[in-house]
Parts: sequence; C-alpha cells; structure tokens
Amino acid sequence: MTGLSIRLPRAKKHRFQAVTAFVFLVFFSAVFIYTFLYLRHDPTLTDLDRRLLGMSLQHPFGTDQLGRDVMTRLLLGGQQTIGYSLLALIVALLIGVPFGLISGYQRGIVDRVFMRMGDAFLAFPDTIVAIVLSGLLGPGIGNLVLAIVMVKWVSYARLVRSTVLAESQKDYVLIARINGLSPRKIMRKHLLPHVVGHVLVLASLDLGKIILLISAFSYIGLGAQPPMPEWGAMLNEARPYFETRPELMIYPGLAIVSVVLLTNMLGDYFRDRFDVKKEERQ
Amino acid sequence: MILSLEQVSIGTREKKIVKNVSLSIREGEWYALVGQSGSGKSLLSQAIGRMLSPNLQMEGKIFFKDKDLLSLAPKEMRGIRGQKLSYIFQDYQGSFTPFRTIGQHFEEYQKAHGNRDSKGRKAKTIEALESVGLDDTLYNRYPFQLSGGQLQRVSIAMSLLLSPDLLIADEITTALDSVSGHRVLELLAKRQKETGCTILFITHDWRHVKRYASRLAVMKEGEIVESGGKHRILDHPQHEYTKRLIQAAPTLGKGLPSGIQEVESV
Repeated sequence: MTGLSIRLPRAKKHRFQAVTAFVFLVFFSAVFIYTFLYLRHDPTLTDLDRRLLGMSLQHPFGTDQLGRDVMTRLLLGGQQTIGYSLLALIVALLIGVPFGLISGYQRGIVDRVFMRMGDAFLAFPDTIVAIVLSGLLGPGIGNLVLAIVMVKWVSYARLVRSTVLAESQKDYVLIARINGLSPRKIMRKHLLPHVVGHVLVLASLDLGKIILLISAFSYIGLGAQPPMPEWGAMLNEARPYFETRPELMIYPGLAIVSVVLLTNMLGDYFRDRFDVKKEERQ
Repeated sequence: MILSLEQVSIGTREKKIVKNVSLSIREGEWYALVGQSGSGKSLLSQAIGRMLSPNLQMEGKIFFKDKDLLSLAPKEMRGIRGQKLSYIFQDYQGSFTPFRTIGQHFEEYQKAHGNRDSKGRKAKTIEALESVGLDDTLYNRYPFQLSGGQLQRVSIAMSLLLSPDLLIADEITTALDSVSGHRVLELLAKRQKETGCTILFITHDWRHVKRYASRLAVMKEGEIVESGGKHRILDHPQHEYTKRLIQAAPTLGKGLPSGIQEVESV
C-alpha cells in the first residue's frame, strides 16, 4: 500500500498530510451536518417514480435505479464498510496481540505451537480463504469478516512476537520476574506498551487493505448482500446504468479511494510518529 | 546453610555448560563466585532463582532455607522471588522498564508481594531510596533521567526493599567506573551490615574479592575448581588455574595476595 503514499521531502510531506487530513475532516463534517439537518431518507425505501434522478437539494447525489437516495446510502454504506473493516481489524488485534505476547514471552513449545498454527493460516491468501468460506458458509458480510480475521491475526501475532522476543531478553524483564511479578503482569505492564506503536502503524495501514477487500468482495457479491448499502455492493448495483448514469459508480468509487487514501496517510503519520524503521527513512 | 547447591548441571540437550556444581553458603556471609567470562557463573546464579531460559535444562538440587527450589510450584516461586531472594544485575541501564518511573517500579513490586497500603508503599519506597543516599525527588523520574551510579544504587535499594535473605549480585560493578563501583560496593557492604542479608557476589575482579568476600569459589568451564575461605584460597591456592588467576591480578606493596601481612620468620 505504500505505493499510494506520496513521496515528498519529509517536512513538505508532513504539511501536505496535515492539510489533506484537515480538508477531509472539514468535508466529512460538512456532509454529516448536512445529513443530520436536512436528510431524512430511508436508505432501503424504493420509490420507482423517483428512480435515477439527477442532483437536487432533496437528493444532493441523485437517486439510484430503485429511487433510493444515493447520498444516504453512501453515508450509511460508509458506516457499513468502515464499521465492518474496523470490526475485522479489532478482532484480529484481539486475537493476534495476546497470541504474539504469549508466544514471544513464553517461547519454547508454546511459541512453536502458536507459530505453526499461524503459518497454517498464513499459507492461504486472504482472497482464497474468503472465497472458500463463502462457498462453505454462504456469502455474507459476517463470513467475509471471519475470513479476514483468520488471515490477518497472524501478522499481528508475528509482529508482536518479534518485538517481545527481543525485549523479553533484556534485564528489566528479568528483574521484573525476579521480583516476583506474574507473567501476566509482566506482559501487560512491561511488554505491551512496547508493541503499541508498531501495532498501530500496521493496523492503520491494514485498515485500507481491509476496506478494499470488503468492497471488492461485496462488488463480486460475496460480501454485503442487497439491499444493504455497502460501497462495493453499490458499485455492483450501479454497473448496468454505467453509460447513462456514471456518477452512480463514481460516488462509491470515490468514497472508497478517499477513505483508503486517508487510512494510508494515517499509517504514514503513525510510522513517522513512532519512528518505526527510522534508519531506513533517513 | 541458607543456600546449598547439590550436583547442579545446566545445559542444552547437546552440551552441558555447568557441570555438577555443589556449593553451600552460610547465613550472613559475603560469598564470592569468581571466574572468567563464559565460565557459567551467571547461568548458575540465574538457576538459583529458576530464571533460566526454557531451552536450557537443569539437573540437581537447590536448597534455599531447606526448601528445594526446583520442586516448588511457579506461584510459590514467585512468592520467594523478590521477597526472600533478589538480584542486582550488571546492566543498570537495562534493569528498569524505560517507560515506568522509579516509583512505579518500587510500588509494583511491593504490590506483587501483598502490600495493599498505598501510603505505606510510598513511604517505604522513599525510605529505601534514602537508605542508599538518594533523595525522594527521584520518585517521579524515569530511568533514563538518572546517571549510571544512581541507577545502580536504585537497583540496590530495590533489591533490598523487601529485606531478602539472599541477594545475588551479578557483576554489578563491571559497567561502572572504578570510583562509582567502589562507592556502590561500600554501600552494599553497609546495607549488608544493617540488614544482615547474605550476598552471593559474582565477579571476575580479585580486588573486590579481597576486600569484601568472606568465602569464595572459583569456577572454570562450568566446574568449581576450588572453594573455601578467602585467605586459604588467595594465599594458598591448590589448583593450577587459581594460581594463575591470582598471579594475573596485580597486587600493590608487600604482603600476601589476600591482603594480610606475611609474618617474617626470624
């Protein structure tokens, strides 16, 4: 995903990021205020008399092929897409971080078992897992989230493990042990804070990938099911009308691009902030 | 006997690093374990607290106040660690978790051993800091804000916080300059007098052995080649290796290597 980040000198890059983030913030706040004040549309209410309308004050982004308000669907779709991505990410973190901590701290047989388990999950690319799962359990956003969690937790476990492995060799962990602290306390209070920065960087970069994955699978019909407003699904539904009403595809497409870009910038910012791979960047 | 090791061997599956070591330490003494780097001293000291890394295997028996440490459950072991048995390490910079203040370290260890009274904990911490000649302003400092000598004194305060019976000091002066090292050892000796704890002192510096130790053992390649009282070993070494070690250490002035004056036979 680093291909999307813009290569500028460091200082300029920071200003650029700050300005972009600010613009996005203002834009989204404006949209949200607008929806709360003026928009009262049901995202799934079909009204065939008002299908495929153009821009108006009532429907700022027009209506789709079933007469549903596009802006409402776009905003609620954002909740779906970003919400499910965050859900997948958080569950992956909740599994991966403790596994990595225990694995790196206990070492020995525990570590070997955990890591071979992780390798087994890692052996399948996320796309394959998602397709297989939707084949076995049926398509749906829940199964897609499950597939993403199954693949993503491993990278967090590995990241945390490698940091903990290095840190737990240091004397302060030895001192904490020799002073009678329980392993749980050592992991939580003495080792966990070390990995927070690294995990945050990886997570914010991963969020973009997960959003793309969810949208892509919804687009091919394996993720969110209609009439759920989801950006990928909206893209798919708008496909037959591409020649007459291209904006129906452009809106959700732009939404996906901008959110993914934003998460990438956030990731870059965290990376600078927590100085991961500092030497490499200088 | 406060601590006795019986036929302790430590090693990986392929190779033994410490071979059949037996030694016993009396209550209240300053016992020195001498040997060059890689002789297995630190490994042995870590084995006492059951702090070895999981890929190492250990055989033998370690009796601490008549309890076999190797047969204790992890929870019982945690109760002993820090409270009855504590350590000071060589690397004073790395002995403290970087993002926790000095005070937090002291608080946490007291809490882990059942001290529920927060005012009492703080008072005890400050008292411990003062006992090593530091003032309470250090309470809210982070480890990196302290100098090396200060940190090493804080580690002494921390290790003596819960008045342990046995203190294992693993090459604590190696990373300090000789003046600071001297001060730290003087302090340790003073605190030992005040608390009466036993010290297992691991070193490769003969000057410190000469000055502080009451008895010592010499380790070479994982084995104890000689052990006994300080004067016996320093002045009348039996083993070839001990002889060479003593010769290699320079002495000032006349007298026997242990520091006592030789009686002129008239």
